Amino acid sequence: MNGSATAGSAPMSLADVVRTSVVVVVALVVQSTVIDVVQFRGAHADLMILLTVAAGYVTGPDRGAAVGFAVGLVADLFLPTTFGLSALVGCLLGYSAGLASAGLVRSPWWPAPLVLGAGAAAGTFGYAVLATVLGAPHLMHTYLVPALVMTAAGGVVLAPAVVAAVRWAVPVPGTSQASAVGAGGSAVASRRPTPSSR
Amino acid sequence: MARRRGTRARRARRSGWGIGLLVLLSITIITLDYRGDLRGSIAGARRAAADALSPLQQGVDDVLHPVGSFLAGAVHYGSLQQQNAKLRLQLQRDRGALAQAQSLRTTASQLATLEHLPWSVVAAIPTVTASVIGSNPSNFEATIVLDKGAAQGIAVGMPVVDGNGLVGRVVQAVRSQCTVQLLTDVRTVVSVDLGATGNPATLVGTGPGNPLQVEYVSPTIRLRRGMLLTTSGQQLGLFPRGIPVARITAFHSTPSATDQTVQARPAADLRSLAYVDVLQWEPPG
Repeated sequence: MNGSATAGSAPMSLADVVRTSVVVVVALVVQSTVIDVVQFRGAHADLMILLTVAAGYVTGPDRGAAVGFAVGLVADLFLPTTFGLSALVGCLLGYSAGLASAGLVRSPWWPAPLVLGAGAAAGTFGYAVLATVLGAPHLMHTYLVPALVMTAAGGVVLAPAVVAAVRWAVPVPGTSQASAVGAGGSAVASRRPTPSSR
Repeated sequence: MARRRGTRARRARRSGWGIGLLVLLSITIITLDYRGDLRGSIAGARRAAADALSPLQQGVDDVLHPVGSFLAGAVHYGSLQQQNAKLRLQLQRDRGALAQAQSLRTTASQLATLEHLPWSVVAAIPTVTASVIGSNPSNFEATIVLDKGAAQGIAVGMPVVDGNGLVGRVVQAVRSQCTVQLLTDVRTVVSVDLGATGNPATLVGTGPGNPLQVEYVSPTIRLRRGMLLTTSGQQLGLFPRGIPVARITAFHSTPSATDQTVQARPAADLRSLAYVDVLQWEPPG
């Protein structure tokens, strides 16, 4: 695993940035046309948060934080709340997701839905707490519970698709996915380097 | 071994610097926005982003809508659904007109005295009929997105109605679409008149799916279920006077209470909005 020792913290290439931008734009369109329609008491799943958690899960804390920050800034453009709030939540969430899932074995199918479900709920809660601190107390007592339910459920259901999209966008160097993308293939990486393997 | 441990420590330090830098950058942006220093540029960026995404969004929506309808099992379900929505709007308009006529008949004398003509004020205001193309982008607000915007003469603050009554008001308008804050949003506050009594009260949104709260209703006022609340035209003229807003669903009071506890449901059917009218009326000043 020496070749992938610096995988999670290596700077993203231009191709990674382009692919990530494509994924973010597609996610924005899918969010506004499909995901937003499926509601429970006005709440729906949140692809932007899921992308952030998936980035941390797939690529580790450093890239998770960077992708989370960028995705959050884009999300802030479409939200009426304080600008930068989603970016702050995004970088903390991507970093935390990367740290929390560092020791997980990636081969089984079940960690991804669990991590994305829990991460999405944590991100939504963090967003509500920070927005409350910034003077929007209604977020905690009116909208929070349906939002937690829907984002967590959305994380569990959409995890395979979101993780696959992030693996395509930000392949981790040294994995079969990276070489496959480099060669124009579409293989799915089974694991990323963990701190213990670095 | 020692070299590997040193490398790991350096990487952890670099990682800490990276996340620290991003957090600092985020907090700086939040602070600048909170102080209002970036308001113009952020509003411009938000408008540009919405304008850029809007055609893509509408195109994909056009594609996915029939697919969803096909999956529902009917070949021509999409067009029938659209036609049905238009007919429903027409029916709601007719019902609104009927309710208006009844309301006018029962309160004619008082209205004449007050020179208050519900809906007739609204009928004189030009409207833009728009289609609902999306709902709240955030989980922490109750909004809808319409397919008409500044290019069609829609501006921030304009009231939005369906055939039954007030839906909300425009809070953001970009070139080809606008965002409407619904009555149920917790930030919504509407000054209303209580039916034929004409007593003023304040209606407050309490979140999607929750009943609206009517505040400042004196215990001496006689209420009844189904009583219609209309916009009062006060509150610095946020809405024109006379638009039906909600109907009372429950009320109670205790002997020592200074106000009655009153709940209401929107006159407009907010759960199945497909087409709405934007009143081209802006708050004075």
